[in-house]
Amino acid sequence: MPQRSTTHATFVIERTLAATPERVFAAYANPANKARWFGGPEEWDKSDYQLDFRPGGRESISGGPPGGTVHRYDALYWDIVVNERIVVGYEMHLDATRISVSLGTTELLPQGSGTRLIYTEQGVFLDGYDDAGSRERGTRELLDNLATFLTRVVPS
Amino acid sequence: MTNTQHASFVIERRYGAAPQRVFAAWSDAAAKRTWFVEGEGWEIQSHTLDFREGGGETSRFRFLKGEETFGEETVFGNDTIFNEIVPNERIVFTYSMHRNGVRFSVSLASVEFKAAGGGTRMIFTGHAAFFEGGDGPLMREGGWRALFDKLGAYLAA
Repeated sequence: MPQRSTTHATFVIERTLAATPERVFAAYANPANKARWFGGPEEWDKSDYQLDFRPGGRESISGGPPGGTVHRYDALYWDIVVNERIVVGYEMHLDATRISVSLGTTELLPQGSGTRLIYTEQGVFLDGYDDAGSRERGTRELLDNLATFLTRVVPS
Repeated sequence: MTNTQHASFVIERRYGAAPQRVFAAWSDAAAKRTWFVEGEGWEIQSHTLDFREGGGETSRFRFLKGEETFGEETVFGNDTIFNEIVPNERIVFTYSMHRNGVRFSVSLASVEFKAAGGGTRMIFTGHAAFFEGGDGPLMREGGWRALFDKLGAYLAA
């Protein structure tokens, strides 16, 4: 029987983005947009990205280095306030093992002509599989991708 | 404009009952209802429990002092999804709460059951995002503490 343990952690990441809250929100809400910036490293093999963006809707993607461990993300949308707030609960699996359950809140606040984005993650890491340090680094990389994506798309 | 506040808290309890019995008070619908749903001052409208990973729990309860407190008939609701269940050891779940259909918080919690001196050490860790018009961290932690008093009374009965 495995030794059970839990590690709880919270981290907050703030970004200032040169795009309106409406455009940032659309980068989350539109599956074609989100698939452009959300997911593992470019060299990973990835499964089809699924997003049903509404309260009660689900999101999933899995991927990993060729022939290596499969990382699976499964999320449930709990709260959506258009252009203002998105709250998801999500699980991460490595192959068949659930390694964490997290609550992620994204807040979008207008700031000048752009947006201040505040992401807060509260999570429980299971049985010593991960730690909030690597999760926070991975999330910072995703938000870097988001910022790059927003500079590339034609402003709407 | 939305307003979001985050908080986390830990509550630890010792019960004289074995982990299997404490766990069963969470997994069995009739048991759970007695300590988690029923309470003085509330009219239970519904309670469902589908205790498995990916399953859920829903409850709807009318606050009898709704008019007095909020100026209108007031129905609270709790919708839970179970993320992980390790029998007799651990439960991880996510839940939202709403008042008259308006969601005021989303939460994540883990409950761990550890054998301790013939009884159980139960460790509850709660995380939450509280929205505008919500209860806030102090009331939430107080609410869970009151529930765990009721769980203790149920286990001792």
